[in-house]
Amino acid sequence: MPIVKPVRRKPALDMTAMCDVAFLLLTFFILTAKFKSQDAAEIETPSSISGIKVPDKDIMTISIDKDGKVYFGIDNQVNRRAMLENIAAAEGLKFDEKQIKKFGIQSNFGVPLNQLGAWLNLSKEQMGAFKQPGIPVDSTAQNDLAKWVYNARKANNDLRICIKGDNFSKFPVFKNVVGSLQAQNINKFNLITGTEQAPAGWKAD
Amino acid sequence: MSEIDTSGGGKGKGKGGKVRSKKASTSVDMTPMVDLGFLLITFFILATTLSKPSSMTLNVPDKSNEKEQETEPLKASKVATLFLGKNNVAHVLDGVASSEDGAKAALKDFSYGFPLREALMKARVRVDAEFGKDAKGESQFVCVIKPLRGSTYKNTVDAIDEMAITKIKRYALVDALTPDETKLLGDKTKD
Repeated sequence: MPIVKPVRRKPALDMTAMCDVAFLLLTFFILTAKFKSQDAAEIETPSSISGIKVPDKDIMTISIDKDGKVYFGIDNQVNRRAMLENIAAAEGLKFDEKQIKKFGIQSNFGVPLNQLGAWLNLSKEQMGAFKQPGIPVDSTAQNDLAKWVYNARKANNDLRICIKGDNFSKFPVFKNVVGSLQAQNINKFNLITGTEQAPAGWKAD
Repeated sequence: MSEIDTSGGGKGKGKGGKVRSKKASTSVDMTPMVDLGFLLITFFILATTLSKPSSMTLNVPDKSNEKEQETEPLKASKVATLFLGKNNVAHVLDGVASSEDGAKAALKDFSYGFPLREALMKARVRVDAEFGKDAKGESQFVCVIKPLRGSTYKNTVDAIDEMAITKIKRYALVDALTPDETKLLGDKTKD
């Protein structure tokens, strides 16, 4: 008797639907993507229940890392260059075209003014390896931060000021930062924090 | 002419018969494309920051015209002072002036989060019971936050956040200590 052999077929799965889903998700992620910026220092911010989002543009970020070093950055390349030119004119420093261009791509930095030129001459790898000493904020001797803030605002008057502090940075550093802002009559700023849930039953007014 | 013979040559059904071109399957294998799609998704997930940080606004008093605003001093019984100390401890002085004799005994330690919140709520209830609401219907309770040298930035943010949670409208962030407070806190003020 002939044995009826079942027809062996390769199990084929229609991948079209899966492909659709994959690309839909891909599109979503591309459109919502905001790339992690290369920061000079890693900072873990404390969290708060505040629901106000940090603005996307026109922000000036003053970061304080856990060792109390201060870093400074503004968001737009054009403004960064204008800021460097402003501060160079004010302080009598000279930067060539190459240095200015390099400065434009630094999202933030923590180098005192007198070392800035030398730092900008380093190659990209050396720059990454270089341990940035932080911007001096001492109110008595040398306050580079105040100069940067002033010249950044000169480059872009709409800048909002955000302070991003690390969990373990000590309060006196924060006080110095706020002090040098207050000295310039800046009395309103944002503290960047993570988001946490408000306690149960809490309602905003 | 422009058709491509997919029938595979000499298997036609005779010479004169119609050459029926075998229908080529139109389905494309999507698997590599799906692979690619998910690879890119993975990349974008890893390369982006998903949780956008939030921000809290902080207004500090204007230093330039501080001298002109001479207001009457606050009653100590309406005020709770939060000294943010080292090792994540907040010292709370509630309703007692730092110059009073009982201040040392009244100074209590709390950890951040729920214990501190409870202490603040209690202080406000006490002030409300004693003084009632003011003309605008707001509580008259005032909270003064004084971070000490040993405290961290996180402590300051937590304390301000606590104000938002307990809805204390009147609070101030002050860093200078009065001589009385320095004496009261003793070596708590050190790093």
